[in-house]
Amino acid sequence: MNPTSSTNNSLDIAAVLLVVQASFSLVAGLSSLPFAIVEPGFRVLSVVTIVIAIGMFRLARNLRRGRRWAWRWLIAVELLSLAITSLLGLLPIGALRGPVPLLVNLVIPLSVVFLLAAGSGGRPTQAGPTDPA
Amino acid sequence: MYDVAAAHAPALTAAVLTIAFCCLFVLVMRGTARRGQLLIAVDLVAAFDRVPPITKLAALLMLASGAIHLALVPGHAGITGVLFIIDGLGFIALGVAPFLVTWWRRPAIFWLLATILAYIVWVVAGWETPDQVGIACKLIELVALGLVLRLNRGTGGSWLRRAWRATAFPMVAVMMTFGIWVAGLAHPDALHAHAGALLQSVNAVATPEQRAAAGRLLADTRASLARYQDPAAAVAAGYKPGPASNADPLLHFQNSANAHAILDPYRPQALVYARTPTGLRLIGAMYQMPRVGQWGPDPGGPLTQWHQHEGICFSPFGIEFSFETPFWTCPVGSTSITTPPMLHVWIIDNGKNGPFAADLDKRVQRELTGRA
Repeated sequence: MNPTSSTNNSLDIAAVLLVVQASFSLVAGLSSLPFAIVEPGFRVLSVVTIVIAIGMFRLARNLRRGRRWAWRWLIAVELLSLAITSLLGLLPIGALRGPVPLLVNLVIPLSVVFLLAAGSGGRPTQAGPTDPA
Repeated sequence: MYDVAAAHAPALTAAVLTIAFCCLFVLVMRGTARRGQLLIAVDLVAAFDRVPPITKLAALLMLASGAIHLALVPGHAGITGVLFIIDGLGFIALGVAPFLVTWWRRPAIFWLLATILAYIVWVVAGWETPDQVGIACKLIELVALGLVLRLNRGTGGSWLRRAWRATAFPMVAVMMTFGIWVAGLAHPDALHAHAGALLQSVNAVATPEQRAAAGRLLADTRASLARYQDPAAAVAAGYKPGPASNADPLLHFQNSANAHAILDPYRPQALVYARTPTGLRLIGAMYQMPRVGQWGPDPGGPLTQWHQHEGICFSPFGIEFSFETPFWTCPVGSTSITTPPMLHVWIIDNGKNGPFAADLDKRVQRELTGRA
């Protein structure tokens, strides 16, 4: 297998994990909408979460197309997410209890960062091949 | 709200062992092939190297899912157990297939979708309670499905076809999350109630001694709380009102000085006031333990059952909270928290729910506050 196809594979796997993350964020945003009906403050959180989820979908798409800015944004977002998760994990509030929160909030973001780093080598820096998806 | 069911725990070990075994197997085969000791090892390594990393990961995830299903068989009798055997064997076959045949993708997509759909049907019907092992397994299958769909992706077609290809996988992920979530809230098990709160394990029927002890706790709490009818008296005693929310017709006044008191009627951790049309009315106390998972003394047995709120998305901005999704995600700006166990003692007549219920009776709440 040549290095370019291996790089593309890394970015493809990262893109799939990003779509999973974005889907979960979308559900979190949509699910807080009923609370926003009675609590105006929560409307902001709901809308921001949905906007971020849509942004993640677009970043995943542009990552597959080889856009360098998408790669940079994703590294920043995932590292920020990991830092916040690590801090929350240290607090005695039960934020990380069991395999699911560990997988979703630690393993997936860590994997994405690793895959993005692995895929940074042979990735095109301009617009890549057209992805109709 | 979502725990690891004791009977399901071995499945996690099975998944980890399967992944470790696969990695070890590849290393051993590669070493054997390098030395040229075994022809079959050379063929296996060649087949393994022909396959791209994305396919290898999808295969590994399907093998892990197969191991989880097979490890769950002993705890599931009847049709569920039979389906777990079929599903587990199917996933193992599909995990090996990418290294042997080229036509494995469509069967894998079908098998993964059917398994995810079957799980949702099972939890919606109440035949299975979603726990972290089941949800983790669905997460593994969801990622495997995404990888296989990515491999199967065409590049042409009409705009409708392209739109379908772009949205199908996120739609599966969103629908699966909502399905598990709604089903879990609709069919809580015996130890989950009060919006998914985990209830303390207690005996089924209260003994006469436990009834008497519960009666004493109620009487002592009523006597102690008489001095706090006026919220100003509570504030003077060190209780501070929590954030008022339009979503909650009750208001908790908490006293951090009582944080380490254990079920002391004269030092309750919080006072509960109802926001009535004529002002605040004291309706009960809330006892709370110092730490998450530390269940309190249970003098009344099943009558005084503590509960622990899990998976609440709490915003530090003092805004109202929502519930986390089964995949442990919260809206941006909030985080999932678990509260230490708590026990409410209602000093007013709490209708059919009784004086120690986790919830205020809906009829009583409506009469007090004018809101459901």
